[in-house]
Amino acid sequence: MAHLLSFTDTRPPRVPPVPPPALPPEPSLPPTESINACRKSALLVENDESLLHILRRSLADEGYAVRIAANSEEGLRLYRDLAPFNVVLIDYFVPQRNGVGIDLCAPLQTNGTALATAIREINPSQGMIIAAFAYANAGEVPRPLELMHTPLLIEIFKLQSLLAKIEVDRAIETLTSSELLRLQQFAEFRVRGLGRAARGRSWEDLLQEAELRTLIGAEATGKGRHWNKNVDFVLHLTGAMQSISNCWKRQFKEKEACFVSELLIQDAEGQEHSPLDKVASGHTAADQRLIEKDEEDRVLTIFKDDHEATQVLHGLLDGLKKNEIKSKYGLDEKQYVAAVKRIRVTLLGRRNGGERDGKHDR
Amino acid sequence: MTDKKDYGDHLEKLMNQLADSVLGLSDDVICAETSDVGADPEQEAERTRLVLRQASKTLDNANERVSNLGHTINSNDWVRGKWGYRNRCIDCGSFVSFTTTTGDVQGDALERLCPESNQNEIRRLAASRE
Repeated sequence: MAHLLSFTDTRPPRVPPVPPPALPPEPSLPPTESINACRKSALLVENDESLLHILRRSLADEGYAVRIAANSEEGLRLYRDLAPFNVVLIDYFVPQRNGVGIDLCAPLQTNGTALATAIREINPSQGMIIAAFAYANAGEVPRPLELMHTPLLIEIFKLQSLLAKIEVDRAIETLTSSELLRLQQFAEFRVRGLGRAARGRSWEDLLQEAELRTLIGAEATGKGRHWNKNVDFVLHLTGAMQSISNCWKRQFKEKEACFVSELLIQDAEGQEHSPLDKVASGHTAADQRLIEKDEEDRVLTIFKDDHEATQVLHGLLDGLKKNEIKSKYGLDEKQYVAAVKRIRVTLLGRRNGGERDGKHDR
Repeated sequence: MTDKKDYGDHLEKLMNQLADSVLGLSDDVICAETSDVGADPEQEAERTRLVLRQASKTLDNANERVSNLGHTINSNDWVRGKWGYRNRCIDCGSFVSFTTTTGDVQGDALERLCPESNQNEIRRLAASRE
C-alpha cells in the first residue's frame, strides 16, 4: 500500500472490555429500504466479531435499528446510500477492506478516522462516535484536528451517555423557530416571576440549566433530569425550567432565613444581637415586600388605561384560573385571550427596550 | 404591619401563568407576537438555539479537556455548586468545574496529567512486555 505509514502497532492487545455473553444469533437485519423508516437508525462500522456483538446489542437496546459495515469502504458506501443516520459508530482500527489490516492514508489517520473525516465532509452535523477501546484515555488517541471534538468511546459503559448526548444535540438542531421562541419566552417569564430570587440570572441561564441537567441526567434517571424520549423535547425542557426556577426560589427563601440566624452574636451577658440591627438599610423582609409591591404596582400602572388587561392581571395576581377570571369579570374567550396577549407582548416589549406604556394595540 | 400580602408570590403566579400561556400559542401567533414586540422572530429563534448549543459545547469542552489529560470523570457526576458545575477525576480525585455564563472551565485537573492514568499505562506496558 503506497500510503502505508510508520504507524507502529504498539497498542496493547485488543481485548474487548467485557467478554461477549453466549447469546443466540442476532435476528437478521431489516431490509435496506426500511432502515431509515425506523425511529432511530445507526451505522456501525466494526470488524471485530466480539466487539460487533456487544456494540450492536447495546445500540439495539437503546432502540436503534443497526446497519453494519465490516470495513471503512463498505461503511462509506452504506453511508452514501442510506444517510442520514441518527448515529454513526466507527471502530478506530477498522480495516479499509475485508482482510486488510491497518493501512493508513495520512498522519494521525486510521481507516476509522479517515471514514469519520469523509462522513464529516458529507454531513458536518452527523452525530458520530469513534470507538477506541485499545486506549486508556482520549488524550492518547491520535486523530486529525477536524475530529478533535468527535466523541471517543474508550469504555463501553459510556456508550449510553454518548448516544444520549447526540440525541439531545440532534433535538436542539431540529427545533423549529416557533418552538425556540416558546422556550425563550417561557424562560423569560419564569425568571421574571422569580423577582429578586433570580439573583441576576437571565432566561439564558434558566434554559441552559435545564439543558445541562438533561445532558447530565442522560444516562440515569436518578441524576440530573432524564429525558424520556416519549416526551416532546420542548415539553421536557419547559418542565425542567419549571422545577429549576421553583428550586431557585426555594433556595433563595431558605438562604435568607439562614443568613440572619447565622449572624447572631452573643455578648458577655448572653444577650443575642444581630449585626443587621446596626445596618441603616438592611435587606429586611419588609424591604423586600416593598420592592415586590412596587413591581406589582409598576405592572398594573403599565395597563392602567386597558380595563380588560387590568382585570385579567388582577385575576392572575390573585392566582385565579382562566375560567374563574372570565366569569368574575364577565369576559368572553376572545376578550380574555386578547388581553393576555396584550400583557405578554407589552411585558416582553419592555424587556426589549420598547416604550410601549399605554400604547399597546387593542 | 397590617399588609400581609405576599407580593412576590402574586407576581410569581402572574408570570408563571404567562409562561404557561406561551406553550399554548400556535406557531403563527408566537411568531407574530415576537414581531409585535419589535424583534425578528427568526433572529430570536436562532439566538435561542445558540444559547442551547453553547451549553452543550461548554459541557463537551470540560469533558474533553479533562479526558485529554488522562483523567477519568463520570459524565453523569457533574454536581451544581456555587461556581457552576463541578466534577472530580475518579482516579486521582482532582477537581474540574465549568460555568455556562462565561464558558470557563477550571480546576486542578486541568493543570496536570492524571498521575494515576500514567501508573495505569506503566502497568499496562509492563504487562504487555511480559
